[in-house]
Amino acid sequence: MNRHAPIPSLHPAGGATSDADRPVLSARSIVYSYGNTPALRGVSVQVGAGEIVAITGPSGSGKSTLMLCLAGVLQPDAGDVEFRGRLVSDASESERSALRRSDFGILFQFGQLVPELTAAENVALPLLLSGVKRKAAITAATTWLDRFGVADHAASRPTEMSGGQVQRAAAARAMVTEPSVLFADEPTGALDALAGEQVMSQIVRVARESATSVVIITHDATVAAYGDREVVVRDGMIDHARDGIGS
Amino acid sequence: MSSGTPRHSVLLRLALSGGRSDRLRIALTAVGSAATTLLLLTAASVVCISTGDGPYRLAVLDQPGLRPGVIIALLLLTAPLAIFMGLCTRVGAPARDRRLAMFRMAGATPAEVTRIAALETGLAALLGSLFGVAAFAVGRLLLDRTTMGTFMVIAADGSKRSDIGIVRLLPTDVDVPFPVIVAVAALVTIGATVASAVALRRVRISAFGMTRSVPTNPPTKTAALLFVVGSGGLVGLGVVSRSSASSLPVLVGLSFALFAMCVVGLLMGSASLSASVGRLVAPRVSRPDLLIAGRRMIDAPYTASRAAASVVLAVLVGGAVLGTRANFLASQDPSDTFYADTFDLLSIVLGAAIVLSAANLVITTSEAIVERRRTLAALVAGGTPRAVLARAAIMESLVPLVPSVALASAAGLLAARSFFGTTVERLASFDVDGGNEFATVDVPVPWTQLVVLGGGAIAISVLATTISLVFLRASTRPSEIRAAA
Ligand SMILES: Nc1ncnc2c1ncn2[C@@H]1O[C@H](COP(=O)(O)OP(=O)(O)OP(=O)(O)O)[C@@H](O)[C@H]1O
Ligand SMILES: [Mg+2]
Repeated sequence: MNRHAPIPSLHPAGGATSDADRPVLSARSIVYSYGNTPALRGVSVQVGAGEIVAITGPSGSGKSTLMLCLAGVLQPDAGDVEFRGRLVSDASESERSALRRSDFGILFQFGQLVPELTAAENVALPLLLSGVKRKAAITAATTWLDRFGVADHAASRPTEMSGGQVQRAAAARAMVTEPSVLFADEPTGALDALAGEQVMSQIVRVARESATSVVIITHDATVAAYGDREVVVRDGMIDHARDGIGS
Repeated sequence: MSSGTPRHSVLLRLALSGGRSDRLRIALTAVGSAATTLLLLTAASVVCISTGDGPYRLAVLDQPGLRPGVIIALLLLTAPLAIFMGLCTRVGAPARDRRLAMFRMAGATPAEVTRIAALETGLAALLGSLFGVAAFAVGRLLLDRTTMGTFMVIAADGSKRSDIGIVRLLPTDVDVPFPVIVAVAALVTIGATVASAVALRRVRISAFGMTRSVPTNPPTKTAALLFVVGSGGLVGLGVVSRSSASSLPVLVGLSFALFAMCVVGLLMGSASLSASVGRLVAPRVSRPDLLIAGRRMIDAPYTASRAAASVVLAVLVGGAVLGTRANFLASQDPSDTFYADTFDLLSIVLGAAIVLSAANLVITTSEAIVERRRTLAALVAGGTPRAVLARAAIMESLVPLVPSVALASAAGLLAARSFFGTTVERLASFDVDGGNEFATVDVPVPWTQLVVLGGGAIAISVLATTISLVFLRASTRPSEIRAAA
């Protein structure tokens, strides 16, 4: 599996090898409509290895839809999405599901932890799904909870944790398979400013340590500032006038 | 609304503003109460059979000693129907309750919100039970048939004799007193209303939405006690009723109460078993489906057993019917299809009850999926295969079902064998002058039918759970991730 592959060549700062220059993820002219409502009208973006890309834009502009297409949750009506040279947009549902399980991590605003499972079990779930034995999975989960500063709550249920703690456990779950790309849709949207900052700085620190690329959706300028680059979406298209560096 | 007490008409309109699911809930509530009324009135006609009525083609109706069985069976069939109605009053109700909860911010009290939900159910149930009374009256006219057939005559000295003559198919000639009809309609309406009020009371409605109260650990000892006392009592009552003449209402009342104890014991027992299995499995397994199912069984043990309730009940009655059937078939000449026909009729009713139970299972299982759709959708987006979630849902509802079904069929069978005995007198030679000879034969245990009953009930439940999984696909669409909890 990919996460066991050596990762040095992915370091963004390396810059020398051709591998590092190649984007991990790239979307070309993707179009997506919900019935008659067009949400994306030809969007192209690239995400480099270890790069943190902030996607911003007004409400309803298509940011979440773009993220879901990039992550292979939605299949675009036209255009394609490529991950490490593989066409994600053409893959079958089970192939995309397997890809999300092993190479992507996804973080939402709220509600993604299973309320009946403990925090450690929630984090271990993706490992268990790929066949890791319980003991090893729980140990790895506890390590990841520790990296996000919530190891104390390993045995707690999500209902017994604060919003910020839940979000950090959810981030641990998204990272536990050591994915190539972490997608986060308004990860701090349900938190106050302080808790939001804590969660964001932890995500960025962990992503930098493991050279994970991050696609983060936000309408919060302080969150967007964590990105290496900002992509602005407006009316289902990239607003190039406001595009950040490097695109 | 500045007065803080919104007018009821406004609240009612708000309660119904949800559209299709509200209309469905009201229609199902009405259908359920119509069917319950019809069934109770049928039971009432059997109770009201007096010496002037009959004779009837079916021995269970014709012979006074056999009628309690019919009455009990009919009353017990109302239980799955009652559960069905209870579930129907909750179809789409969370959304309605949320709308009503928003009204609390405008100053409505919890009592007013509860009253409005009860009013809705009450009106639907009243309409339904009036329809049930009408269906009963029409049915009495349409089904009033007579044919030639044999029936048993018991002479003054207690000797039995077969006779041939005109017999009625059903007790359509019995007059059910008008007050009884009114009482049945009122009972169904009031029962449904109170039940919906109680169901809503369990939901703490706050101005911000609602949270269901957390279920406590299911009591194992109480469950076992209820089941043992209930089934033991039924067996004892059966033995007593055969050795001494007891009054019919007392017998019916007692056995109904004991049956109820059995069922409550079984349900609490299956919940507690569910929780124990969960506690055993969840902390150890590596399989994600088992982990999720196990944790769910610990946290919500009653979800599964609530769904299993009517299946278990139908199997309990089914076990009793099979036991009774074996008894009556043993007492009759194999070439005679008299009792066999009677029991075929009962089997059809029983089959209907099991199918109804399966419908209940579909409602509870789908509700459990739809309620958790945001979490499930997020899991699927993260790459959890739907099949894993589907297997978890199936395990969660079937683990407590299997042992309860086995226990229920055994308890039903035992009760029947104690009521009607394990041996019967079969007519060995027939003499026109009345000098009949009887031989004592053992009643066989209907193993095959029991296995068919239990296996069939479990198979139908598996099917029902599988059907409710169609909601899994819709509930795990990405757009559900931002759905309200
Ligand atoms: N499930 C859906 N069905 C129909 N239309 C949808 C659905 N989801 C999104 N849309 C529409 O697609 C467009 C883009 O939605 P999207 O959720 O991607 O926007 P967004 O930029 O993430 O907005 P926000 O910042 O409010 O989250 C909007 O016009 C929205 O109304
Ligand atoms: Mg969005």
